[in-house]
Amino acid sequence: MSEAAIISVRGVTKQFTGGNRTVTALEDIDLSIRRGEFVSLLGPSGCGKSTLLRILADLTEPTDGTVSLNGKTPGAARTDRDYGMVFQQAGLFEWRTVQRNVELPLQVAGVDKQTRRAKAHEMLDLVRLSDFARHFPWQLSGGMQQRVAIARALSADPEILFMDEPLGALDEMNRERLQGELLRIWSDTRTTVVFVTHSISEAVFLSSRIVVMSARPGRIAASIDVDLPYPRTAATRTTDAFFAKVTEVRTVLHGVPAEQAAR
Amino acid sequence: MTATRTATTSVAAEGGPAGQADRATPRRSERLSATRKRVHNAAGAALVVAVLAGLWEGYKALGRAVDDVVPGTKIAFPVATDDLSMPHVWSILGALVEPARRGDPMLLGSYLLGETGVTLRESFYGLVAGSSLGLLLAVLFLHVVPLSKGLMPWLVASQTVPLVAIAPMIVIWGGKAGAPPWVAVTGIAAYLAFFPVTINTLRGLKSPPKVQLEFMRSVGAGRWQVLGWLRIPAALPFVFAGLRLAATASVVGAIVGELSAGTGRGIGRAILTFAYYYSNGPEKLYAAVLVAAAAGIVFVQSLALIERVALRHRHTR
Amino acid sequence: MSTTQLARGTSPGAGVRTAVGRFLPVVLTALVILGSWQLVVTVFDVPSFIVPAPTGISSAFRAEFGTIMSASVVTVQEVLLGLVLGAVAGVAVALALSRFPGVSGPVLTAAVVINCAPIVALAPIFNNWFGVTNLMSKAGVAAVMVFFPVLVNTTRGLLQVSSLHLEIMQSLAAQPRQVALMLRLPNALPYLFNALKLGSTLAVIGVIVTEYFGGPSNALGVYIAYQAALPRFEFAWAGIAVASALGLLLFGVTSLLERLLMPWHESLHDSDS
Repeated sequence: MSEAAIISVRGVTKQFTGGNRTVTALEDIDLSIRRGEFVSLLGPSGCGKSTLLRILADLTEPTDGTVSLNGKTPGAARTDRDYGMVFQQAGLFEWRTVQRNVELPLQVAGVDKQTRRAKAHEMLDLVRLSDFARHFPWQLSGGMQQRVAIARALSADPEILFMDEPLGALDEMNRERLQGELLRIWSDTRTTVVFVTHSISEAVFLSSRIVVMSARPGRIAASIDVDLPYPRTAATRTTDAFFAKVTEVRTVLHGVPAEQAAR
Repeated sequence: MTATRTATTSVAAEGGPAGQADRATPRRSERLSATRKRVHNAAGAALVVAVLAGLWEGYKALGRAVDDVVPGTKIAFPVATDDLSMPHVWSILGALVEPARRGDPMLLGSYLLGETGVTLRESFYGLVAGSSLGLLLAVLFLHVVPLSKGLMPWLVASQTVPLVAIAPMIVIWGGKAGAPPWVAVTGIAAYLAFFPVTINTLRGLKSPPKVQLEFMRSVGAGRWQVLGWLRIPAALPFVFAGLRLAATASVVGAIVGELSAGTGRGIGRAILTFAYYYSNGPEKLYAAVLVAAAAGIVFVQSLALIERVALRHRHTR
Repeated sequence: MSTTQLARGTSPGAGVRTAVGRFLPVVLTALVILGSWQLVVTVFDVPSFIVPAPTGISSAFRAEFGTIMSASVVTVQEVLLGLVLGAVAGVAVALALSRFPGVSGPVLTAAVVINCAPIVALAPIFNNWFGVTNLMSKAGVAAVMVFFPVLVNTTRGLLQVSSLHLEIMQSLAAQPRQVALMLRLPNALPYLFNALKLGSTLAVIGVIVTEYFGGPSNALGVYIAYQAALPRFEFAWAGIAVASALGLLLFGVTSLLERLLMPWHESLHDSDS
C-alpha cells in the first residue's frame, strides 16, 4: 500500500441480540481503503455489507474492533461531515424543492444562504438536473430522485461517499445510465466511494476494487482489483475483459460457503 | 379525496401521509410485546385521567387560595373555583351514591345508569340501522359509478356540515307521525352514523391493490365473487374504523336528539334537568356528564374490542 | 431522456376537461334533487313540517335575512374562537408531548378514549361557568372538541417520522433542534391540517349544539331551535341551510390554507386517490 488509507477497519465484529439469540452479522473484518478508490462491497443478502457501511457511517456501533475515517473515529468524521451518504431510497424531504433538498446538509452545517444556493446549483449541474431546481420530489421519476440524493450527499464536499445499494430500486435501463453518470461524477470530484451492491456486473463496471463478502457470519472472502481502464463506457460492458472479470468475481462468490448465492 | 381522509383522521392517522416502511409479519414475541405495550398504555391512560382529576383539584385549591384573581393583578381566573362552579372530585363521585331526589330511595348512580341504558339502546339501534344503510350505499356506489360520481361529493361535503342541526326537525317528524320520542332519537343517531360508515367502507372496498384485482380477473372471478372474496375482506379494517366513528356519532346524535325531543327519557334529558336545577346540586350535573362520557367510551371501546377479535389474524400496525 | 420528462403532469386543456367531468355530475345531481324536491312538495302538497319547498325556504331566508345574518355573525365568532383556542392548545400540548415519547403513548391513548365521549354533554357546564350568553361558553365546548383530534394528529405527525429521514439527519450530524425544525415540524403539517379540517366541522357542530342548550338570543343555533318550536319550519330550514354553508365555508378556507402552506401537497393528495 503506497498511500495512507483514508478508511481503515481493524477487527470489527458486530453482533445483534434479539430475545435470547445472538446473531453475528460481521466477524473480524479488516479493510483498508485508499484515497480516491471506488470500492464495492459485494455479497449475498445477509453478509453484513450494509451493516459494515452503517458502522463506517456511525449509524450503528461495532461490537468490537476499531474504525478510522480520515484519521478520526466515525463519530468525529460524521460531526465534521467528512462523508456523504446515499441510501437505497432517495429519502428526499417531500416538503422541500429539489434545490432545498440539496441544500439540506449545508443548512444543517450552518452555511449561509447565498453560499448554499450557489453550491446547490453547482451540484445540480453535476447531476444534470439544473432545470428541476424548483420542482418538488413527487414531480421527478425514481432515477431523477436518486440523482438529487447524490447531489445532496455531495453538496458539503465530503471526502468520502457512502452508497448503500443506491440503484437497487431502479429498473435496468435507468440503472445502467446512472452507473455511467456515477463514474463521471466520481472522476469529476475524485471522491473516495464505498458502494454496497449485490449485483456482480454493477460492481465490476463501477469499481476499482471489489471486496467480496460471505454470509453467516459476515466475513471478507476476497479483495479483487478491477483493472479495466477508466473511463468506462457502455462499450466496456461488451468487452471480453469485462466478461472475464465478471466470471472471476462470480467464481469467487460461489466458491464462498454461503447458503444463498447472490441474486 | 381530502374529506375522505378527514373522516378517518381522529381514529386512524396511520393512514396518514408518512410513507411507512414495510414490516415483516409480527412474530409471537412481537405480538406479546404489543400486548404488554397495550397494557402499559391503558395503565398510562388511567394515570392521565388521575392527573386530570389532580389538575382539577389543584386549580380549585389555587383559586381558593388567591380568591380567583392572579396575585398582584386584577386578572380574574377564567373559571371560578367555588363549590358551585367546580365541585370537588369526591363530592361529584359521592353524589352518585346519594339519593337522586329527596324522599326517593333510588341512588343517583343507578338512576343515571338507567337513563344511560335508554340512551345507549337508542344509540345501538341507530348504529345498526345507520351502518346497515351505510354498507349498502357503499356497495351500491362501488357498482353504480354514475351514482357515486354525482352523490359522493355531496356526501363528502355533507361531512363538513353540522348534521345535528336538523335534529329538531327529525324530532318534529317523529312527533307528527305519532311515534314515541325514542324513535326520533334513534333516527338522529342513525342519520349521524351512516356517513362515516359509507365513506370508510367505500374507501375500503376500493383498497385492494391492482395486482389482487387482476389476479381475480385472471381466474375468471365474477363481480360478486370479487366483492365477497376480495373487496369485503380487504375493506373490513376500514369498515371498523368507520364503525368506531359512527358509534361516537350515534351517541352524540342520541344525546342531542333527547335534548330536542323535549320529553322522554335518556341521559341527555337527565343532563338538561340537572342543568336546570344546577344551583341546587351542581355535583349532580357533573356526575351526569361524567356518566354520559363513560357510557360513550364504553360503547365505542366495546366495538373496538369486537374489532380486535374480528381482525386478530390481521397484520396489526 | 428522463431529464426532459415529468413523471406526472397534465396539459391545461386536459385539466379543464377533467374539472368539467368532475363537477358536471355534481351540479346535475344537485339540480335534480332540488327540482324533484320542489316538484314532490308542490304536487303532493307536502305539509311544511315534513319539508318545506326550496322556494319556501329561500323566501323565508330573504324575509329574515338581517336576523339570520346577524345570528350567523355571533355564531361565526364563537366557532372561530373555539377553533383557534382548541388548535393552539392542541398544538402546544403536542409539541410538549413530542419531547417525551415515553409519555406520549399513554397520553394519546387517553386522548383517543376521551374523544369517544360525547363532548357536547359539557355544554351545560360551560354555560354555567361562563354564562349562557357569553361567547366563551360556546367557544369552550368547540375548543374541547377541536383539541383532541389536533393533539392526537399533531403528536403522531411529530413522532411518526420516516426512519430513513431520521438516518439522513443523523448522517448529517444534525442537532436535535435542527431535526425538530427541519424534519418533525414539516412532517407534522399534513397531520395537523387533517385535524384542522375535521376540527372546523366539529367546531361548528359544538357551537350549534351548545346553543340548543341555550345561548344569546341572536345566535344561529338558538334561532333554529326557536323557529322549529314556534313552529315556523321554513325559517328553521333557512337557518339550517346557513349553518351548513358555514360548515362548508370554514372547511373550504381550511383546505385553501392547507394548499397555500403546503405547496408540495399534490404528492399527498395524489397518493391516495
